[in-house]
Amino acid sequence: MQEKAEIRSKYWLAVFLVAAYTIPFAVGIYTENVFFDLQWLADLTTVILNGIMQGGVYAMFAVGLTLIFGVMRIINVAHGELVMLGAYLTWMFFFYVGVDPLLALFITLPIAFIIGLLIQKLLLNAVVGGPELTPLLITFGMGLTIIHIVEAIFTTDYRTIPYAPDAFQLTETIAVSRSKIISFVMAAFISITVFIFLKIHRIGKAIRATAQNADVAMVCGINIFHIYMITSGLAAALAVAGGALVSIQFGFNPETGVLYTLQAFAIIVLGGRGHYIGALIGGVMLAVIESLISFMIPNGTAMVEIASYGMMVFVLLIRPRGLMGPKEN
Amino acid sequence: MADMEIALDIQHLKKYFGGIKAVDGCTFQVPRGQISGLIGPNGAGKTTTFNLLTGVLEADSGEVIYNGENIVGLKPYEIFNRGISRTFQITRIYREMTVFENMLSASSMKMPVREARERAEQLMEFVTLTKLRGEYGGNLSYGQQKLLEFARALMTDPDLILLDEPAAGVNRTLLNNLLDHIHHLQEEQGKTILIVEHDMNVIMNHCEKVFVLDYGVKIAEGLPEDIQTNEDVIEAYFGHR
Ligand SMILES: Nc1ncnc2c1ncn2[C@@H]1O[C@H](COP(=O)(O)OP(=O)(O)O)[C@@H](O)[C@H]1O
Ligand SMILES: [Mg+2]
Repeated sequence: MQEKAEIRSKYWLAVFLVAAYTIPFAVGIYTENVFFDLQWLADLTTVILNGIMQGGVYAMFAVGLTLIFGVMRIINVAHGELVMLGAYLTWMFFFYVGVDPLLALFITLPIAFIIGLLIQKLLLNAVVGGPELTPLLITFGMGLTIIHIVEAIFTTDYRTIPYAPDAFQLTETIAVSRSKIISFVMAAFISITVFIFLKIHRIGKAIRATAQNADVAMVCGINIFHIYMITSGLAAALAVAGGALVSIQFGFNPETGVLYTLQAFAIIVLGGRGHYIGALIGGVMLAVIESLISFMIPNGTAMVEIASYGMMVFVLLIRPRGLMGPKEN
Repeated sequence: MADMEIALDIQHLKKYFGGIKAVDGCTFQVPRGQISGLIGPNGAGKTTTFNLLTGVLEADSGEVIYNGENIVGLKPYEIFNRGISRTFQITRIYREMTVFENMLSASSMKMPVREARERAEQLMEFVTLTKLRGEYGGNLSYGQQKLLEFARALMTDPDLILLDEPAAGVNRTLLNNLLDHIHHLQEEQGKTILIVEHDMNVIMNHCEKVFVLDYGVKIAEGLPEDIQTNEDVIEAYFGHR
């Protein structure tokens, strides 16, 4: 019985996703935004490529959120604020010290790791495993605090970092901005490195062991509180890396973090909460749908957010496990 | 008994769950370097005792002296790192990790990686799981999971090993295999082993000393043959349930 329901939910998720990808085309044809000529196909390819590149970066910081959830069952609603903090850190190093945004990662990532470690040690270790609302409220308060501190220092003005804005001609008709390519390559590199770390390093194994069963991990000698700290440090580093990579593409202000939190939520729900590869696939899939929508549907940018949060709700209804998440019990 | 001969000195150990007196002031000494049994009817408090000894549960009161130190109140990983290791009544392996990864996950961070790998290989060989090293824990048969959990418990070369119903759900061949291993550990390596077991054959034929719990209280202790004829024990098993 259960197996049947399981297969059915998988089937419905597939149907839903196919529909989600088809609708932008249908609306585009209906509103005469779709022309099947070469120029349009080149534009479509560009849009899809952009989506994939964008998705890679979103996926990377969403992985941080999914890691924390997987290991501690905590939903860190301040994750986007760490992304925003990463953008400001990068901006500061760029304008005050003159460090290249990518080279700055060598400084900002260790800083982020320590911030994550401290957040865990001082705020979250005491409440892991307790009532789920407590850590949620703590991270909520922490997020707001970070926003207001940044606002007090930097005001609500938008900041930007001018970095590799020129386009890279893939073919005569297809061009992608260089900052996007650089960001994507960095994001892929970082995501893969973390994945390999989790797979083969003994600390990575201990993190996975703790995620699977913290009680057993403890009787096998794993100090789960250290593991929680390392996990939070990693998650913060992923968020800050994400911040650095979006900062060279988009403007940001203290409130942009909220959007990134929501984006990361939508991604990990689609990919399957707690699942690493799921988050990567979910990130790319979501970003591609978003770019298709804004490309083909009139007034698409407003539609984008409706689509991604609508999608989150639908996935939760149809198949709470998402694409690859573990079975709910 | 001289101190050197006591591996674990349990004093007035107590754990209540609301109104249930799971362990109610238990006092007994586990002899060092021997195989001992802990028996009692269902619900007598055996598993709870193991949980208290390994820090999975915190005792309401009482002491557990191990190597001159009271380990009550320590975290499970602190107790594990002092040399006490265990298996669970219902196996708890990592289902989504391979056999080999399950083994490595129980190695101390202080143990060099190469050594941990070698030890994992040896132990897998010891419990005949080498050919399943790449298999996910969740795909093993129940008996194989028991063997894996047993081998995992030995990764850090613990001095005291607590086994919660190692025979349950394991076929004869595997069980004999497991018992051979247990004897090997005691005879060749001088380990102390405490077994909770329902299978009386295992207790009677393999334990040097037996402790009997009933309603969270130790009602008897002694040689297996004496326990078998003890009035209180017979009463506990057949009298009131
Ligand atoms: N976590 C728990 N919460 C409440 N009651 C428990 C818990 N664990 C065990 N008990 C109760 O404590 C008593 C002893 O259980 P247990 O130690 O598992 O017995 P045994 O292993 O000897 O069969 C039983 O009455 C059981 O129902
Ligand atoms: Mg039991």
